[in-house]
Amino acid sequence: MTHLAIRGLSKVYAAQAAPAVDDLDLDIESGSLTALLGPSGCGKTTTMKMIAGLLKPTTGDILFDERSILSIPPERRGAVMVFQNHLLFPYMSIAQNVGYGLKMRRMERAEIDRQVAEMLELVRLPGMEDRRPKELSGGQQQRVALARALVVRPKILLLDEPLSNLDAHLRFEMRDLIRDIQQQMGITTVFVTHDQEEAVVLADKIALIFDGRLQQYDKPLAFYEQPSSRRIAAFFGGVNFFTGTQDGDGFTSTIGRFSVTRDGPADGGILTIRPEDVRLSEDGETNTVSGTIDSQVYVGTHARLRVTVDDHTVNVVADADVMKRYGQGDRITLQFPENKLWILPAE
Amino acid sequence: MDWERLRIPLMLGPTLLVITVLFFGSLAFGLVQSLGFQPQIGNTTLTLDAYISVMFTGREAGQFWSGLLLTLWVAGASTFLSAALAVGLALLLRRTFFGKKLSVFLFQLNLPIPHLVIAIGMLLLFSQSGLLARFAGELGLISGPRDFPILTRDRYGIGIILAYVWKETAFFGIIVMAILQSLGDDYEAVAQSLGANRWQRFRTVTLPLIMPGLMSASIIVFAFTFGSFEVPRILGVQHPQMLPVLTLDFFLNPDLNARAEGMASSIIIALIVLALVFLYMYVSARTIRRD
Repeated sequence: MTHLAIRGLSKVYAAQAAPAVDDLDLDIESGSLTALLGPSGCGKTTTMKMIAGLLKPTTGDILFDERSILSIPPERRGAVMVFQNHLLFPYMSIAQNVGYGLKMRRMERAEIDRQVAEMLELVRLPGMEDRRPKELSGGQQQRVALARALVVRPKILLLDEPLSNLDAHLRFEMRDLIRDIQQQMGITTVFVTHDQEEAVVLADKIALIFDGRLQQYDKPLAFYEQPSSRRIAAFFGGVNFFTGTQDGDGFTSTIGRFSVTRDGPADGGILTIRPEDVRLSEDGETNTVSGTIDSQVYVGTHARLRVTVDDHTVNVVADADVMKRYGQGDRITLQFPENKLWILPAE
Repeated sequence: MDWERLRIPLMLGPTLLVITVLFFGSLAFGLVQSLGFQPQIGNTTLTLDAYISVMFTGREAGQFWSGLLLTLWVAGASTFLSAALAVGLALLLRRTFFGKKLSVFLFQLNLPIPHLVIAIGMLLLFSQSGLLARFAGELGLISGPRDFPILTRDRYGIGIILAYVWKETAFFGIIVMAILQSLGDDYEAVAQSLGANRWQRFRTVTLPLIMPGLMSASIIVFAFTFGSFEVPRILGVQHPQMLPVLTLDFFLNPDLNARAEGMASSIIIALIVLALVFLYMYVSARTIRRD
């Protein structure tokens, strides 16, 4: 198991003025599964390629177990990358594909065969040795690509959008498989994704990157409960933002004053609450606001409501039953639980 | 009558007619001429005499076999060397470096230049009285033209091979660069990340991926160099002569009886090239089935 550290890493492409990766610092614990999350073009794949050695950083350092690996060529670095589009060698059998890395290490044929069979068993593709890549489905090809990377026992496993080319049910299957194998083998794994749900479900920790800069590096729950900026909250599905000022234990916002129990930043200027944390109020509760239902949409397991409070919109996710009790244009009272309110820095 | 089914064949008809008449017509005409059918000089019976004469009994029979060997050598060596050189250069040109655009331009510069001009250029540069020999003389590296190595009009076809390599490398280069561009770097990146060094990546990834395109281009270049006469006519020697030059001599012979031998020689060239094309198609089909 390898500890991965990234220190002040930057990458500036010749044709671009702005850096693709800008002064990135990360400490990835050995044996953990970490997601590099962000929108397309934010620099996450560039970061991964620099870890793999496929791109040279402009500045900064990458350390495996506290030793810089920048001078080690990619083929001897021990960071194996699995690409988004599988990239199985089309002219090789599945066994040849999986055993490729071992063959390059000049391992004996019998040992290669043994390890290939073991690895295909691990990715739940036993007996596929003689097939050709084109005879396999997308999900199977991705599993072969994973087996090909794992068989060389990498120090760091790098997965570039491993689920993006798969349909919904294969995604779930592959997600579980990656998680199971990663825990079983204990390989320090970094994966790139633009899908926050995927990152939350799979990762021990998430590094959220916008415009090449690390925004927040934390456990998944923190991105929902304690986002460090409005942009991060919005990326994770936050939609309720009310400007105002903090005063003692309370926050006076554009839609009212609320008690807040959790500490926010000193320069807090935006109050936020997730739509699923907003409750329909019972009589006699504090932290309430009243408004008019603008719209309500049934989305299967629950309902989405848009409520106008003093010309501001509050988005609510509630039980589907709410649609039997209220209609569009009805007055409704909402409660913001103190422990669910979070204050973000002013912009 | 189901006209819809006939629509495509009818639309293709005019084109197919032109191809059939021009290609198969001239091929058939050449074939019957090679079998001695020349009514203008009173020969109307079909025999294999011209083939036997060209290959075994005629005055030029010896020339034919040495010419065939030389032709196979020149076509094979030119094709292999051009392909190898083009792959190496294309791999270098794929990288990002200062002056890349200019280098690519220079690499492909001789594509539109006719083979004839290339052949004459070779003479001017590499013959014993050429520019390089004079330059070497001026530098005192040689005492006279005879000291300069024979690179043109030599019995091993070195000059011819050099001219073809000069010209065909650019052709191969365009194809290899297009393939490399469409493949991108990702396959090699995967191999590198799995531990393959530069040579292993080339041998196990790059070469197998470009091989189908490279083989197709090789067939074209081999067929062309095997059947072309301008360059060997200018840069070759009287003995041995490459087959296309020998064939041209038959045609230029004032004796009309030699026309049948010329046609027989042409048909033999075509058959050898066709056999190699079919062999290639058979091997490719097997490879494609396997992959």
